[in-house]
Amino acid sequence: MIHGLIGAAGLELGDMLFTLVTFIVLMLLVGKYAWGPVTKMMAKRQDKITDDLDYADKSRAEAQELLNKRQSELKNTQAEAVSIVNTAKANGEKQSKEIVAQAHAEASDLKAKAQDDIAQAKQDALNGARDQVADLSVTIASKIIGKELNADDQQALIDDYIKGLGD
Amino acid sequence: MNDKYPELQIGPLRFNLANDIGLLVAAVVVFLLVYWLSRNPKIRPDGKQNLLEWVIDFTNGIVKGEMPGTEGNKFKLFSFTMFLFVIVMNQLGLFINVNVNGYTWFHSPTANPLITMTLASIVLILSHYYGVETNGLGGYLKSYLNPINLIEEFTNFMTLSLRLYGNIFAGEILVMLLRNMALSGGLTGILAFPFGFVFEMVWQVFSVFIGSIQAYIFVILGSVYMSHKAVKE
Repeated sequence: MIHGLIGAAGLELGDMLFTLVTFIVLMLLVGKYAWGPVTKMMAKRQDKITDDLDYADKSRAEAQELLNKRQSELKNTQAEAVSIVNTAKANGEKQSKEIVAQAHAEASDLKAKAQDDIAQAKQDALNGARDQVADLSVTIASKIIGKELNADDQQALIDDYIKGLGD
Repeated sequence: MNDKYPELQIGPLRFNLANDIGLLVAAVVVFLLVYWLSRNPKIRPDGKQNLLEWVIDFTNGIVKGEMPGTEGNKFKLFSFTMFLFVIVMNQLGLFINVNVNGYTWFHSPTANPLITMTLASIVLILSHYYGVETNGLGGYLKSYLNPINLIEEFTNFMTLSLRLYGNIFAGEILVMLLRNMALSGGLTGILAFPFGFVFEMVWQVFSVFIGSIQAYIFVILGSVYMSHKAVKE
């Protein structure tokens, strides 16, 4: 049946129609099942890449800012540390000078007091010795005098005096 | 080609079954190919998805080259489908050519001028439609005050369709002639077979190249004609 219908002249309009229909159906199917999902995924990927790049830029800026902040903080800290050390050193020196000065003053006070004490003690000792010597002298004298005051000695003494007078 | 084709008459419509089977097979091949390639698309594409995306980028690039703005977006799917459809039809007839009792049952549909003219009509009629949509009917018709533009429409149509047809038809003829030479039989046939075999292979490779180039040219020229109409001056 099919083979018998060959050779008639004219356009094969059926082919044109068939081409058109085939192409349209193919385009619809490709669009629905292949083009759609894949281009959607491609768009999604593009969005993701854009987002990621934006995010990376933002993160980098943030990190840079943080770094700058840290560096300035570090610088401040260092300066602060130096000033603290300097202050402490100055304080220490001042304090040590004060202590030494105080010690000196105390030492000289003590020395002066000790000298006074010594002088006082010496004076006292001298005074004491003088008193004792006087007492002793008196005692000795009184003892000597008391002993001589017996009759013989008195006599002799008197005699001496008289003899002396006689000369 | 003095081949005979099986034909079918339904009412006023006559079908050349060699063309229609070829069209159908090409459409099925294209659909199955992209359907397989596009299964479970991922943000991080794997091998087959990369291939499909490469083709999509390729045809999108063709459209974008002519229509850089958003007006090209509605032609991207069209160009993609047309490119794959034409390229598959061009290649199919190269290595499949069914001939039964002198009737050709299967060949490249694009080796038939009617099919290429239909494809060119699809492109050009669509371009006219978008020409009216973009510029309005008045603006569209104004461009035809210069009659040379009318002639241009005709030549566009003829060159777009006949270039594709001529290239593929010539390729098929040469493939067939080389095959006939290789299989001519007899004493000369024994001598001719190696030459025919080698040249057939070489020519097939070249035809694959031509078929791809022609599909590319068809789509790029379609985009050019489309952009003439559908882009606001």
